Amino acid sequence: MRRRLPGFLLAAPAWAWLTIFFVAPVAMVVWFSFGYKPSIFATQATDKLSFDRYAEVFSPTFFATFQNTLWVGVAGTVLCFLIGLPVAYWMAVKAPPSRRGLLIALVMVPFWTNFLVRTIGWQVILSPEGWISTALQTVGFEPLAILNTRGAVLLGVVYNYLPLMILPLFVAFDRVNGPLREASKDLGAGKWTTFFRITLPLAQPGIVAGVLLVFIPLMGDYITATVLGGAKGNMVGQLVASQFQTAQNWALGSAMAVVLIFVILLTVAIGAGIVWLVTLPIRASHRLVIGAPAAAPASVSIREEVAA
Amino acid sequence: MTQASTIEAESGTAPEPVTSRGEAPGTVVIDTVTKRYGDSTAVDGLSLTIEAGEFISLLGPSGCGKTTTLRMIAGFEEPDAGDIRVSGRSLLGVPPYRRDVNTVFQAYALFPHMSVAENVAYGLQQKRTPKSEIRDRVVDALDLAQMRGFADRKPTQLSGGQQQRVALARALVNRPSVLLLDEPLGALDRQLREEMQLELKLLQSRLGITFVFVTHDQGEALSMSDRIAIMRSGRIEQLADADTVYARPASAYVAAFVGQQNFFRGAVAERGAAVDSAHALVRGASPALQEGTAGLAAVRPEFVSIDADASADASGAVNTARGTLIGVSHLGETMQYLVRLGDDQSLIARRPSPEAPQLAVGDAVVCSWRAESVLLFPADDAASAGGYVAPPTA
Repeated sequence: MRRRLPGFLLAAPAWAWLTIFFVAPVAMVVWFSFGYKPSIFATQATDKLSFDRYAEVFSPTFFATFQNTLWVGVAGTVLCFLIGLPVAYWMAVKAPPSRRGLLIALVMVPFWTNFLVRTIGWQVILSPEGWISTALQTVGFEPLAILNTRGAVLLGVVYNYLPLMILPLFVAFDRVNGPLREASKDLGAGKWTTFFRITLPLAQPGIVAGVLLVFIPLMGDYITATVLGGAKGNMVGQLVASQFQTAQNWALGSAMAVVLIFVILLTVAIGAGIVWLVTLPIRASHRLVIGAPAAAPASVSIREEVAA
Repeated sequence: MTQASTIEAESGTAPEPVTSRGEAPGTVVIDTVTKRYGDSTAVDGLSLTIEAGEFISLLGPSGCGKTTTLRMIAGFEEPDAGDIRVSGRSLLGVPPYRRDVNTVFQAYALFPHMSVAENVAYGLQQKRTPKSEIRDRVVDALDLAQMRGFADRKPTQLSGGQQQRVALARALVNRPSVLLLDEPLGALDRQLREEMQLELKLLQSRLGITFVFVTHDQGEALSMSDRIAIMRSGRIEQLADADTVYARPASAYVAAFVGQQNFFRGAVAERGAAVDSAHALVRGASPALQEGTAGLAAVRPEFVSIDADASADASGAVNTARGTLIGVSHLGETMQYLVRLGDDQSLIARRPSPEAPQLAVGDAVVCSWRAESVLLFPADDAASAGGYVAPPTA
């Protein structure tokens, strides 16, 4: 008999890739974060290890930037979710199946252009001299003053990240469509009940995927925020980049990166916890545990009948 | 015995304030209903009255409109024309969640994120049934389906047959006036299917709920139904009980679809009493056809007797066919013989095993049957060319 190859070998290329290009770099960053910048000509040294860089990270300036990043990240993700959910639902459930291919293609179209170019495009549109502003002024409004505000940042974020939310949600809703939703209606549940008790819970993996796909890259993104938010768009990603590139202080940059990783993990955990807590009473009200039968009724009664 | 108090208590006497047109609760009236999808007509002016408490099967090949009919009763499709009434109340425009019918779906459609008990409770929760009552009724429904011990499992942890029972309990717990079953046994293996057929029939006569059962399996339809509606291209070809459908099929199509048939095609002879086919002159008991037209004669395999061909004489008598035995198969209670009459026709004969003649493949055989067992029909190309003739393979 031929010996079977162990299954993990199939994943070996992926494991190797992840180890070399993900685990190792992250480990290096963590290692550097405990070091220091020895002179203006060196980027980092790790002969003396300390938590001093972390103390630097938590200075008021950095704290404000972290706060801003978190705000953009959470608000952007929530907005993408609230806008993407109905669109994905409509695409998967309501739109005629023959048009779905076209709709998915339309969602993907923005990806054909460079990320930076798309964002700068918005800068042009939203600027006080842009066409929206000019059009508004001809009708008697003030010049548009949205550029370099958080509003502009959110607009850019939703524009850039919405497809990443819509696609996994679409796949999830598409999977739930069909007999399960019909069964729910057959059992007396209307549209909304069916949505909240069948469609949404079963789309959970897609929702998790969409939220993570938007939130995690968004927390590290500083292009959207800088281009559209100006001074208001300070993001941690930008700070990290400037420590590595401009200040040449890899130790401090690494410490910021590590803190960012923890903030992301913590935020995701808190978010999941909030959802869990909020839905807890609803789930509890629908729970029904029967438990084991008091005494095996069928077999006992037969024996009794025989004895009688 | 298991107790089914909460389900039996009110079923059949479900609260039905308005019973118009003298149609009892549980009666389903399909009144000249038509349903089109684009250019094709799935259901074509269908009319059918299903009595309260009746077990009716809609039988036919895929595409005959049986599932569409069921889905219109359930409310998942709206008819283009005609009316559907349940318990005397028109269901036109009534959404599925306001209809007093429940469905057992083909693939069960159990909610994977809920336990068995929560699946069964779902319908009751929609009606805002008090919690304590929900619990009792769920337990009773699970008892009825013999799934009590699995109440707290997830559907994915159950076998196909168990999921089937849960789907049944989930529908019956709502005490519907009408239960719709969409090929519910299709995914089960044969033994389990036969067991479930028996159980379904017992359950139905005990609960007195109207069952509308959609199937393409004639055995299922024959074994369970009070009446069978054999459907073809969106219409009912014959509506009758199992005996009538089997013994006196209304058309060649019905004859071919229910049970097996040996078909002989040829010119009508003997003033309409016989069909003169290439391999046998097949005579019926009485004239039934127009002289000079093309006809089809049908004989069921169990009416064909078979013997070794002793005489060298090739000339055939009436209701006799000579050929070569090309296959013998043991079907348990019966032996089945496949006889080749010519290049284009074979014949199937079945004899009870104890009295089956000992014949070997390659033997010259003579088959014969009585005129009383012959059915005569006008030639129907759609029926016999559509693959409904007993296939000429063993």
